[in-house]
Amino acid sequence: MGKPNDLVQGTLDLLILKTVSLEPKHGWAIAKRIQQISNEVLQVQQGSLYPALHRLEQKAWIKGRWAETETGRQAKFYSLTAAGRAQLEKEAATWSRLSGAINLVVEST
Amino acid sequence: MQWSHQVWMRFQTFFRRHRFTEQLSDEVRFHLEEQIAENMAAGMSPEDARYAAMRLFGNSTWLKEETRATWGWLWVDEVSQDLRYGFRALRKSPLFTTVAVLTLALGIGANTAMFSLLDQVVLRLLPVNHPEQLAIVRETGNHYGNSYGPNTISWPMFEDLRDNNQAFSGMFCRFPARVTIGYGDRAAQISAELVSGSYFRVLGVGTALGRTIAPDDDAVPDSQPVVVLSYSFWRNYFDGDRSIVGRTIALNGHAMTVIGVAQPGFDGVELGAPAKVFVPIMMKTEMTPHSDGLKDRRRRLSWVTAYGRLKPGVSLEQAQLSLQPLMHSILEMEVQQPEFTRSSTPEDREPFLRNRVELLPGSENDLREDMRRPLWLLVALTGAVLLLACANLANLLLARATARERELAVRLAIGAGRARIVRQLLTESLLLSAAGAAVGLALAFLTNRVLLRIYLPADAAAEFVVSPIPDARVLAFVAGAMLLTSLVFGLLPAVRGSRTEITLSLKDRSGAPSAGGISLRRMLVGIQVALSLLLLVGAGLFVRTLRNLDSLGPGFPTDHLLTFRIDPSLNGYSDEQTKSFYQRLDINLQTMPGVDSVGFSAMALLKGYGWQNAILGKDFEGAPMEQQPVLSEVSPDYFATLGIPILAGRAFTAQDVGPAKYAVINESFAREYLPGRNPIGQRFGLVDDMEPVSPDIEVIGVIPDRKYRDLRETPPAQAYFPYLEGVHFRFMNIYLRTQVDPRQIEDELQDRMRQFDPHVPVVGLETMNEQIGFSLRTERLVASLSGVFGGLATLLAVIGLYGVMAYVVMRRTREIGIRIALGALRSNVIRMVMREAFILIGAGLVAGFSLAMALANLIRSQLYGLNARDPWTFLGAAIVLALAAGSAGFIPALRASRVDPMRALRHE
Repeated sequence: MGKPNDLVQGTLDLLILKTVSLEPKHGWAIAKRIQQISNEVLQVQQGSLYPALHRLEQKAWIKGRWAETETGRQAKFYSLTAAGRAQLEKEAATWSRLSGAINLVVEST
Repeated sequence: MQWSHQVWMRFQTFFRRHRFTEQLSDEVRFHLEEQIAENMAAGMSPEDARYAAMRLFGNSTWLKEETRATWGWLWVDEVSQDLRYGFRALRKSPLFTTVAVLTLALGIGANTAMFSLLDQVVLRLLPVNHPEQLAIVRETGNHYGNSYGPNTISWPMFEDLRDNNQAFSGMFCRFPARVTIGYGDRAAQISAELVSGSYFRVLGVGTALGRTIAPDDDAVPDSQPVVVLSYSFWRNYFDGDRSIVGRTIALNGHAMTVIGVAQPGFDGVELGAPAKVFVPIMMKTEMTPHSDGLKDRRRRLSWVTAYGRLKPGVSLEQAQLSLQPLMHSILEMEVQQPEFTRSSTPEDREPFLRNRVELLPGSENDLREDMRRPLWLLVALTGAVLLLACANLANLLLARATARERELAVRLAIGAGRARIVRQLLTESLLLSAAGAAVGLALAFLTNRVLLRIYLPADAAAEFVVSPIPDARVLAFVAGAMLLTSLVFGLLPAVRGSRTEITLSLKDRSGAPSAGGISLRRMLVGIQVALSLLLLVGAGLFVRTLRNLDSLGPGFPTDHLLTFRIDPSLNGYSDEQTKSFYQRLDINLQTMPGVDSVGFSAMALLKGYGWQNAILGKDFEGAPMEQQPVLSEVSPDYFATLGIPILAGRAFTAQDVGPAKYAVINESFAREYLPGRNPIGQRFGLVDDMEPVSPDIEVIGVIPDRKYRDLRETPPAQAYFPYLEGVHFRFMNIYLRTQVDPRQIEDELQDRMRQFDPHVPVVGLETMNEQIGFSLRTERLVASLSGVFGGLATLLAVIGLYGVMAYVVMRRTREIGIRIALGALRSNVIRMVMREAFILIGAGLVAGFSLAMALANLIRSQLYGLNARDPWTFLGAAIVLALAAGSAGFIPALRASRVDPMRALRHE
């Protein structure tokens, strides 16, 4: 029941920020989207999204707003804030540097 | 932008956290329903779709909890949970809670009361700009000439220091005096502060009204009759009349212009002797008609207290060092002067030149000096009481933890963390100590009101700056005491409680509770006994000190003796008028109904000070201050009034007038200065630094040794002279021996004095016993408080011992049952239990004994007439404690002996 380690947490944050960067989405949609885009490779336990979402909201990187879905139900939609966008760019850059470096190491042998 | 948003979020999640929790549930429910819908669309049955969705989601309860944790306010809920639970747990056992809160209230209350006294009297600095930069400048070493006290120097020396020093950014000096104020038709004697022109500027004290005394006001003697009022005096005496500035009031019959009112809260530089008015020191002659030290340029008359403000960054030690060369050059100059050569011997020169400057912290004063040791002592005593209270509470809590083992085990079993249990138990301790602190604060408030009334002279108490109302410092102290005590008494039991063995505790073991930290509890009781012994020994020593001082007395009967002071010279009377005033008053009072006889004395008896002067005679000349005889000038009936017999020769008569000079001496004087001779008819002289003298005073009588300055002294060598022939006749202390209870004629005396002369106020009217009682107030305070603390400590120790022994007996019920069944006698059982109790008591006594022996030196100076390691006091305290604790142990022992073997064994 320990907390996800830094890498996983940081990655999850990045995924969420990226996912809501295009348009506001509610929790379930975010989970579905991550799953779909990654070709079902990233199987996030859906529930663990929520602590992450609320933490990001506390940091004011995303903003939650209750609104109606297409089916006419109330859901909490998360959208990226200006600060969130900056954070996304920073984390994306870090990620590509890191993954690039790991690629180099893995492929050089 | 971002942080304001974050703050807003924190704010929202705190104040609307219930709504946020609901919304989170909605969010999760929506999520699950979306997933279920998708699953069903994929063809699952509703049941399966639901389970699949929940599996995919994970442990929703835990995840919601995790999510709430990101809001950062979980601890608020947990703390309020702890508090609610703690309240409930304490309410369930009202007896325990009451005892605990009262114990703590006494402990914390006593400490708070003592701390606020200590803080305000001893620790607090003057209410001026940067008080820590102020220093009192004084001269150490032997003094030759006259002195108003160890902290005083001469006016010329002050001027030399002020004009030539490099250590201070400014210097000022002051002299406290009593003056008669006349305004309208009212007259009263008040305390005045004579101040140098730089006083207000260097202190950094401003005004509420008008202006302060400036250097110009203090340049030429007798030139500037101006006065600044203290704020509280202005409010009380002049009802805060703003038009007072510019008006004239009479001080000692001199018209003085009020130029201002000092800033609120400033009552001069001497705590405990608040000044009502401030007058330029150049007006000294007008303010103190009995001595004009300012014009008297003798360098050896020390009377002003000098203060310097240290330059920023300069320490007291550095400044002191830098002043030594200056002081030395001043001394070099002084030894050349005739005043010095006359009042000293050539051998005195060298040691005198070694005198040094000493700097004291500027907030220092006599009250502080006197009260520092007793107050620290009382703080230490109350600290011991609080420690004892903590030990007692820890003991109670341990017993309680044992009784709550099952409850704690259940909480552990359903998943409470051990840290959470510790926190829960500590919260309960904190609740207890918070309640104790609240009650204690109220107790301290009441106590301090009483203590201040006992402690301070009536006139000072009325306006004393020490207030019983707690301020931020006292509240901080209470909060600190509260936290600390709850940790001290709560931590051990809490940690022990969290170690409860779940499986053992949940099984039915109603017959024998677990060991329950019994060794820990024994140790705590041992500590309690030791501390109690310490406090009892202290109480014994202080009570006996007080009794010694009280019962030995001054050596003359103090019942039916009334005393007061008058100062006719403050009303502007000339010397001749003053003398005739006394003669008429003497006759007037002698004829007063209820009065047996009347005595006048220039020096007050048993007030802590005296007039000392070196004397010379055939075989002796001069002496350092400590060995100089104590002198006074008295009326013919003085000795008879006080009940002091004449051993040889005679007392004074009205015919003992100049030019011949007469003296009555005491036995010590005769022994020291006139050994082996009949003292009657011998002659001696008073050393005078103004002119050479010859031994021209004839001894006409001898009285026995009686105390003079205070009750603690061994009677010094004393000599008395006729009062109307002397130099100190401008004020007088009057003693009346009455036939009836002296308090009955106090009012009548006031009336009579008013009729006799309405312009001369009666000052300090009280019975001799009241005066002595007041002079013993420190001893009485220490004795009565240490007695109360000792009793309290014993009570706590007895309760603690009883608790532990009762517990021991309960645990051993079965064993005792078996013993009795096998034929042990009841008396054997009692002996067995009592042996255990006495081992405990004995260990505590030994520890307390060694502690008391080790600490004895610290209180030696507070004792009188007995040794700090007085064996009888130690023995008495030990016996009292052993008896009290022993009887507390006897009850469980008796109960043990009545154990019914059948019932003890049948159980289980």
